[in-house]
Amino acid sequence: MASLVEMSNIAKAFGGSIALKSVSLALTPGSVHALMGENGAGKSTLMKILAGVHQPDAGEIRIKGERVTFARPKDAIAAGISTVFQELSLLPNLTIAENMFLGREPTGWLGTVDYPTMNQLAERALAELGLSLDPRTLVADLTIAERQFVEIAHGIKADANVFILDEPTAALNAADVEKLNRQIRRLRDAGKAIVYISHRMDEIFAICDTVTVLKDGELVGTKPLAQMTPDRLIAMMVGRELKDLFPPRATELGEVVLDIRDFRIDAAAKSFSLSLHKGEIIALAGLEGQGQQKLLRALVGLFQPAAGTVSKGGTTLPLPASAASGIRRLQAARIGFIPEDRKDEGLFLGLPVSHNITMALHAGRPSLALAKPYQREIAETLASLQVKSAGSEAPVASLSGGNQQKVLLGRYLAADMDVLLIEEPTRGVDIGAKSEIYKLLRRFTAKGGAAIVLSRETIELIGLCDRIYVMHANTLVGEMPAREATEHRILDAALVA
Amino acid sequence: MPPSSPDHPAQPMKPSYLKWLLGQGSRQGLWSLPLFIALAIALGLSLTTQQFTSTGNLFNLITQAMPLIITAIGQMFVILIGGLDLSVGSVISLSTAILALGGPAYVLIPAVFLLAALIGAVNGLVVTRLNVHPIIATLSMQYIVLGVTRILRPVSGGTVPDIVIASVSGTLLGIPLPVFWGIAVLLLSWKLLHGARFGLHLFAIGGGIASGMEKVAHNFGVAERRNILLAYVTCSCFAALAGVFLAGRIVSGDPNVGLLFELDAITAVAIGGTQLSGGVGSLHGTVIGALVMALLANGMNLTNMSPFIQTTVKGAILLLVVGLQSRKKMGL
Repeated sequence: MASLVEMSNIAKAFGGSIALKSVSLALTPGSVHALMGENGAGKSTLMKILAGVHQPDAGEIRIKGERVTFARPKDAIAAGISTVFQELSLLPNLTIAENMFLGREPTGWLGTVDYPTMNQLAERALAELGLSLDPRTLVADLTIAERQFVEIAHGIKADANVFILDEPTAALNAADVEKLNRQIRRLRDAGKAIVYISHRMDEIFAICDTVTVLKDGELVGTKPLAQMTPDRLIAMMVGRELKDLFPPRATELGEVVLDIRDFRIDAAAKSFSLSLHKGEIIALAGLEGQGQQKLLRALVGLFQPAAGTVSKGGTTLPLPASAASGIRRLQAARIGFIPEDRKDEGLFLGLPVSHNITMALHAGRPSLALAKPYQREIAETLASLQVKSAGSEAPVASLSGGNQQKVLLGRYLAADMDVLLIEEPTRGVDIGAKSEIYKLLRRFTAKGGAAIVLSRETIELIGLCDRIYVMHANTLVGEMPAREATEHRILDAALVA
Repeated sequence: MPPSSPDHPAQPMKPSYLKWLLGQGSRQGLWSLPLFIALAIALGLSLTTQQFTSTGNLFNLITQAMPLIITAIGQMFVILIGGLDLSVGSVISLSTAILALGGPAYVLIPAVFLLAALIGAVNGLVVTRLNVHPIIATLSMQYIVLGVTRILRPVSGGTVPDIVIASVSGTLLGIPLPVFWGIAVLLLSWKLLHGARFGLHLFAIGGGIASGMEKVAHNFGVAERRNILLAYVTCSCFAALAGVFLAGRIVSGDPNVGLLFELDAITAVAIGGTQLSGGVGSLHGTVIGALVMALLANGMNLTNMSPFIQTTVKGAILLLVVGLQSRKKMGL
C-alpha cells in the first residue's frame, strides 16, 4: 500500500549532540505504527519534526508523495498531522470547549466570543470520539481519564490524516486504555495513520500493527508486530534479551525483618499475614487495584485499613496508622516509602538533586538543629546511582524520568533505610534505566536491605523479585517463588481463588 | 479515599442547584454567600431603620458605593491573572489632583486616562518583563504616584471642571446620574470580561498560574504578556474612572482621597468569591462584594455605630467568606 507519510533519512542535531542520524519512517493509511526506543533514543525528536516543532537538518518528508517542509506547528496541522503530546495541557478552570478552542475562538459581533458555535463544534468533535460529555463542563470536574480523552479530542482535528499519540495512556487505568484503544481502532478503520508511542509492552501488542525501533538516534528496524515477541522487541531496543535485564536473585535470606499480621483492608475483606526477610524483594502482584496499593499505603498511614499490625525488629505498631504521622513513624523505624507518582508525590521538582536526596536525612533530625551539608552523602549517592545530571545543584525537573526515579530511590538509600516500600519502581522509565534501577535495588538488598514492590508490569515483578504474593479482592490469595512464576500462573492464582 | 483510584474520588452527588449556589462546576467562585450577607444586611437595616429604604438613601448608597465598585472591578481583572494592583489608591488620588489643576475638561479627562494607562502599562511591564512580584511592582508604583500627587497638590483644593461635577450630582429623567455610571461600568466590564477573547484569555492565564501550568495558555497561542499588561492597564483606567467620579463628588482634588482604596478593592473582590490565586472569579461577585462593604458603611452610619466596629466587622466578613470557600489547595 502506498505510504501516507514518508520520512526519509531525517537527521537532526541540537548544538553538538546528535539526536537523529538518517532515520526513515513510513506510515501507511489504516495502520497503527508503534514507535519504540529508550528515552533519548530520538522518538520524540522524530515526532516533533513531523509535528513541525523542530526542523530537520537533512532528509525529507513526503505526504502522499509530495515533498513538504514544516516551518512551524501550524504548517503540520494544516497538512493534516495532529499531535497529542505527553503532558496534560488542559486548564482546569476553562470548559472543555474553551480549552479546545483556546487561542482560536470563533468570534462574532464586535469581537464577542461565539460560545454557541464553539460549544457546538466541540460537541461534534467529542461525539466523533464517541464521548458524550457536555462541552460546557469545566475540565476541573472531569476525571483524569476524561481529561485525557478531551486532550485527544483536542488533538484529533476532524480533517487530520495522521495522528501522533505520545504516551497517551500514562495516566489511564486498564479500562480506560481499552476505551482509548477502541478510538484508535476506529481511526485506523477510517483509513488514518496513527503513530503510537508507549513504554507499555502489552499495549503495543494489543493495538499496533507495525513497530519501528530507534536506538541512540538510529533506526534499528521496522517490523510487523505479528512477527515479534516482547522479548525480541526488548532485544531490539536494548540490544539484549529480557532475562539480561534483571540482576540475579537473592541466594540466601536473613531473618524476618518486617512482619504484617492479621491485616484486613476493609471490614468485608479476609485478613491475611505476610512477612519480609532480610535480603529479599517481595512482589505484590495480581490484577490492577486488588488492594496491593492499599496494603503499602496502609503501612504509612495514607490508607486506613480495618485492622492489622506491623512489626519490625521487636517493635509492633498497630494499624491503622495516622495519616499525619504514619510516614515519619515508619521512617524512624527505618522504613522508606516510594510513591508511584514521583512528580506529584515523590520529588520536589524545583529543588536541586542534592536537596531531594538529603530530604530524608534532614527529616530524621530535630527541626531546629543546624542543617548539615551532607556533601559526602550526596556525592556517594550520586556516584552509586550513576545519575546523569548537570551536577548535584541541577533542579530535579531538568532530569529525565529514569534519572528522577533514581534520585527518588537515592533519597532513601542515602538515609540508610532497612526496608523500602516501592510503588511502581520504574514507571515511565526507559529500559536501560529500568535495568539500572533493578541493579540498585538488588545492591540494596544484598547489603541487608529488603523491599516490597508493586507494579503494573507483571514481567517486572517476576524478573526483579524473590517471592510473589498474589492479591485479589483486597486479600492475599497466593504465594509463589518468583523463579517459578509466570504471568499465567499469577493470573491463575488471582482468578481461581 | 481509596488510593487505588486517586483519579476517581467518590463524590456524593449533590443536587445541581446546590452546586450552582456553591459555585461548583463554574469558575465564578462562591458569590452566593456574600449575596446572602448583602441581603441579610439590607433586610436587617430596612427592619431596624426607617431611612434605609428611602429613595434618597438608596441613591446615596449607590453614589457612595460607586468608586469602590469601579475600582474593585478593575482590581478583579488583575486578580484573575493571579496578580494584585496596590497602586490603584494612588491613581485615584492622582486623578482627582489632575482634574483639579484647572483647565478645560476635554484636556484634563483624556490626560487622566492616558496617565492611568501609562501607569498600568509600567506595572504590567515590570511584572511581565522584569518578573517582579506584582505586590512589589505595584507597591513601588503606589509610592511613586502618591509622591507625584502630593507634589502636584499637597492639600486638597482646586477646581474640578463643571461637567465632571454635573455628571455625578445631576439627574436624568429623575434618576441620579450615578445610576447611569453604574450601568455604563457594568456594560463595559461585562464586554471586556465575557464579550471578548480578552476576558477568556485572562481566565486561561490565571487558571494556568493557579494550577502550575504556566506555559499552557502560551502554548495555545494566547498572548500572555500582552494580556497581563492589558489587565494592569484596565485596572489602572478603572481606578482613574473612580477618581473622576470621586473628584465630581468631593468637588476638589485630594491627595488622600484614594488612601487605602486598594485594600478595600481587594477586600471587595475577595468577598465576592474571586480567588487571589487566579482563574476563578466573577463580575457579579465583585459587585456584590463591593455592595456588602457599602451596605456595612451605610448601615453603620444609619445606626450611628462606631467606625471601629465597622472595620472589625469588615475583617470578620472577609475571613468568614474566604474561609468558607472550598479550595483544593492553599490560596489567598
